[in-house]
Amino acid sequence: MSTIIVRTIKEATKNFFRNGWLSIATSMILMLSLYTLSILFLILMTSNIAIKIIQEKSNISIYFNQDVNDETISNIKSEIEKNSLVSSVVYVNKEEALDIFKRNNANEEAILKSLEEIGSNPLLASLVVKAVSPTQYQAIYEFVNNAEFVSEVSRINYIKNKEAIDRLNFFVEKARQVGLIASSILAISSILITFNSIRITIYSRRKEMQIMRLVGASNLFIRLPYVFEGILYGLAASIISTILLLITVGFISPYISESILSKSFMSFFWSKFWLLLGFQIITGCTLGVASSMIAIRRYLKI
Amino acid sequence: MTDDNLKTETSSSTVIKFENVSKVYKGNFPALENINLEINDGEFVSIVGKSGAGKSTLLKMIYAEEAPTDGTVLFGGEPINVSKKGELFLHRRKIGTVFQDFKLLPSKTAFENVAYALEAAGTSEEEILENVPQVLDVVGLGSKMEKFPYQLSAGEQQRVAFARALIQKPMVIVADEPTGNLDPVSSWGIIKLMLKINEMGTTIILSSHDKYVVDKINKRVVILEDGKIIGDCPVGKYKLV
Repeated sequence: MSTIIVRTIKEATKNFFRNGWLSIATSMILMLSLYTLSILFLILMTSNIAIKIIQEKSNISIYFNQDVNDETISNIKSEIEKNSLVSSVVYVNKEEALDIFKRNNANEEAILKSLEEIGSNPLLASLVVKAVSPTQYQAIYEFVNNAEFVSEVSRINYIKNKEAIDRLNFFVEKARQVGLIASSILAISSILITFNSIRITIYSRRKEMQIMRLVGASNLFIRLPYVFEGILYGLAASIISTILLLITVGFISPYISESILSKSFMSFFWSKFWLLLGFQIITGCTLGVASSMIAIRRYLKI
Repeated sequence: MTDDNLKTETSSSTVIKFENVSKVYKGNFPALENINLEINDGEFVSIVGKSGAGKSTLLKMIYAEEAPTDGTVLFGGEPINVSKKGELFLHRRKIGTVFQDFKLLPSKTAFENVAYALEAAGTSEEEILENVPQVLDVVGLGSKMEKFPYQLSAGEQQRVAFARALIQKPMVIVADEPTGNLDPVSSWGIIKLMLKINEMGTTIILSSHDKYVVDKINKRVVILEDGKIIGDCPVGKYKLV
């Protein structure tokens, strides 16, 4: 058995390189499949992470008038917390707001100077409200707007973020729907094309199989190298596809804001590199082997 | 010696025996009709006849590419069972085959083509490295081992095919029109090679419609016409009735 395996690997590798152009063409088509699937995979992963991050970042900030005291605010806080749509409420008092503001503008000397000139703390105390689900901000906003304590409120900053959040929700929802349909269609068609091209490759060599039979090779001995060639197509395709992905990501990365993923697209890609490579190798080899096996069954009449 | 003893003696030296073999192809097209033929160990038999006389069908039954519609083909006393498809390769290893169109693997060198038969049979690497060059020397291609089929002349390709047939030390070599694609000079080379192989003890069954080839060989001739044997001369010349 070990002789068969060694000879299979030797035979398949030799065939792969001797049939140079045919091997390249077949691997390229398989590569297109893998590349398409990987891009879809990346888009889905990116959008999922982006949604999570934006969900974490989005909130409603309720700013109170200068004259509202801590006690009133903490009463309002517990009132808001009773709402089942709300996941958390954090109180940021004036001093904290000033600290945060100073930290965020540490490099802006002009702003810090003007702050000193004012003398007093111009910032307002606020409650930062997070919803259980990002689709519920509108409801929370309306709840706050209709509450009795609205007279104490200076402004609610949800309106400012509202559009962005709505747009994101819409985009994510659509992307999921379209992505699912598009990726199924692309995946199926690329699998069919790959299958067909490997079948043609083997069809073009069916005479070889006939000769092998005549000189007394067993079916297993004839089949195994073709199956192993399927693995080689898969490996070659994954490597080329990964290189191409790397180039694509490198090209796109500068245009994707780091705030979406909290890091650059490139470093996101690297963090998923092994997952993607593994996914491609497994998919590529499975496709290659399955196509080879089905094609051989058809052309290896005994 | 009794008749019975004599009978056992003959049958032990019989390599191939056709017993009332008929073959009808799809569409009721009869290729062979009631063939009875015995071929003994070490014989050189030329099967002659026009195109379509059934020569190839007869040979295909020996290497189990076709099964008889009626009758039995015995090889070494055992009937060839085409229905055991998974085991046919074991039968084929006992028979060397050579064809008009050489049937070499195009992506393999002469050496690799010959070695393939041994690799398939699970022969060790050392034996392959030892035996293949020897056999290629026998057919006169020792210096062209690393050439691919497209780098060889037709005659040379046919020699590679003979080397491949010989390498498994078969009991029988079946050659279907081996000179059909060759010029007279190359043909003459192949004839000499076949006679040499036969002298070394291998049974050869040749099909040909080439008078020149058959006359040169000057051994047993079986004449086929319309699927029937119409002549069987121990030492014969090519003739069609």
